[in-house]
Amino acid sequence: MPAPPQDARSRVARVVRCTPCGADAFVLELDPGEELAPVRASRFFMLRREDGTSPLVPRPFSLYRQQRGNLEFLIKAMGRGTRALVSAPAGSKVRLIGPLGNGWPTIDGDGPDWVMLAGGVGSAPFWMGIEQAQQGMDGKTPVRKQQVHLLFGAASSDLLYDFKGLAGLGVSAHAATMDGSHGHRGHVLSLLAQLQASGKVPERVRLLACGPERMLEATAHLAFERGWDAWLSMETWMGCGVGICNGCPIPTRAGGPRAGWPNVKCCVEGPVFHVREVDLARRVGAPT
Amino acid sequence: MARLSVQLGPLVLRNPVMSGSGTYGHGREMALMCPPRHLGAWVSKTVTLEPRPGNPMPRMAETEAGLLNSIGLENRGLEYYLSEILPSMRDLDTLVVTNIGAECVEDFGTLAARLDGEAAVDALEVNLSCPNVGGGRLPFSTDARMAAAAIGRVRAATKKPLFAKLSPNVSDIASIACAVEAAGADGITAVNTLLGMKVDWRSRRPALATVQGGYSGTGIKPVALRQAWMCCKAVKIPVIGCGGIASADDALEFMVVGCRAVQVGTSNFSDPSAIGNLAQAIEHALDQACIADLEQWIGSFDNPRALAGA
Repeated sequence: MPAPPQDARSRVARVVRCTPCGADAFVLELDPGEELAPVRASRFFMLRREDGTSPLVPRPFSLYRQQRGNLEFLIKAMGRGTRALVSAPAGSKVRLIGPLGNGWPTIDGDGPDWVMLAGGVGSAPFWMGIEQAQQGMDGKTPVRKQQVHLLFGAASSDLLYDFKGLAGLGVSAHAATMDGSHGHRGHVLSLLAQLQASGKVPERVRLLACGPERMLEATAHLAFERGWDAWLSMETWMGCGVGICNGCPIPTRAGGPRAGWPNVKCCVEGPVFHVREVDLARRVGAPT
Repeated sequence: MARLSVQLGPLVLRNPVMSGSGTYGHGREMALMCPPRHLGAWVSKTVTLEPRPGNPMPRMAETEAGLLNSIGLENRGLEYYLSEILPSMRDLDTLVVTNIGAECVEDFGTLAARLDGEAAVDALEVNLSCPNVGGGRLPFSTDARMAAAAIGRVRAATKKPLFAKLSPNVSDIASIACAVEAAGADGITAVNTLLGMKVDWRSRRPALATVQGGYSGTGIKPVALRQAWMCCKAVKIPVIGCGGIASADDALEFMVVGCRAVQVGTSNFSDPSAIGNLAQAIEHALDQACIADLEQWIGSFDNPRALAGA
């Protein structure tokens, strides 16, 4: 059965600082106590406060940035688990389990351009994705600035978490807000259509997407319609992150490369899946 | 650590710490998080005769003091377990307990017969009590005759040590414990999850796709402790305590009322490496309390109310 990655460990990290980001998110910086090898973008860690103020089960977060030996996580304060983490005082201890999951595929400079579709806090795995693609991943050709198009969508401008910082990484960056308070009015896929119509993004692209489930469903639908390669960084309710609770299944696509079993474990077989591997439509109708 | 070893029916465990079925993998997945030699025994996720895809999503929901799950015994079935998983377990440096589940007596017997010849399997644990199949009807753990029938069939099919995992969702667990003892069980695991549910009153929807599920974690410890104690009093075979155990104190509470070993379940999700430190923590706690002989101390619970016939 799929096991947690070989480099995954359970350790106690120390909170360095927690800095507000946008209207409702924070960047939690942790000192893991030892230098970790560079972590592939879109891998994740499970986090839980050690002082008893977190709920029983840790929460999964993509690594946002890895610098100076520390790990940063972009956390949107939503429920008990996230609120406990973003209120952790400097110096307090956090259980840090990871790195977990597979991460983005090789983002190379040899094929069609890449379009990164970020929805709200789903922007988290793209910061390092851009950096690593520019450095070159898995020995492949690094991407050039104009080969990556970041399309960041949110309900409003204050939920475009550090858009300026992401845009400053040297890619073609575009924002979309549902209320029109910044950039294109509408969602990221209508922005993509507009950019392609105006010739700013080529007709044939490869997609990387992370964001709300409906955005991922629409991304998968578009990728099938156009015959594009697309990878989705998925989030589900996870009880453990290491493959032992069986609580995070995602249905597999009939006829796809993982069709041998009705579902995959998001945590140890993902969280990044090619659209041919999973069937998001089969998740519709489940209570949330 | 020798002083921590416990006799569990025909088995000798190097320490009383076991993993709970369904909470610590199906094979060697967790060996990097917890060296197997730190465990008294490792228990598999439930194996069924045929593959089971499991229940629809969502399968898990957190509550104020625990976790609800409705996984539905997702597993790839006995043949896959025999060919793909068991071969890698032969040299695992701890005892291997294979947990089996079925919806009819015949299947329990078939599972036990097929596993009887497997050298990698040190013991069987019979899951009589999964609340997430058959709509939570729990036929084998709420009816003493059916529990005995399942255990009797397994007993006839295997010489391996045999533990019966009971449900807390009964009014008289002692009667079930006595029935499985009479049917040939070598021990009892007490207890599986409590039936529970969670709803969102605003959306008027359940948190779990199956509406109800198994409730586990810290919140169930008092209930599990009482049920385990009831079993300890009712039978002569050893009892393995299970339910909300996360710390050395939790483990020793179950052992002082008579449990000879404990299983750690839901807390593996909070920190998958913690179970590997539990035996050492138990030893430290015993040292602090100047308890030198664990075997003598197990079950030394002093209950004045019981003496008064309460």
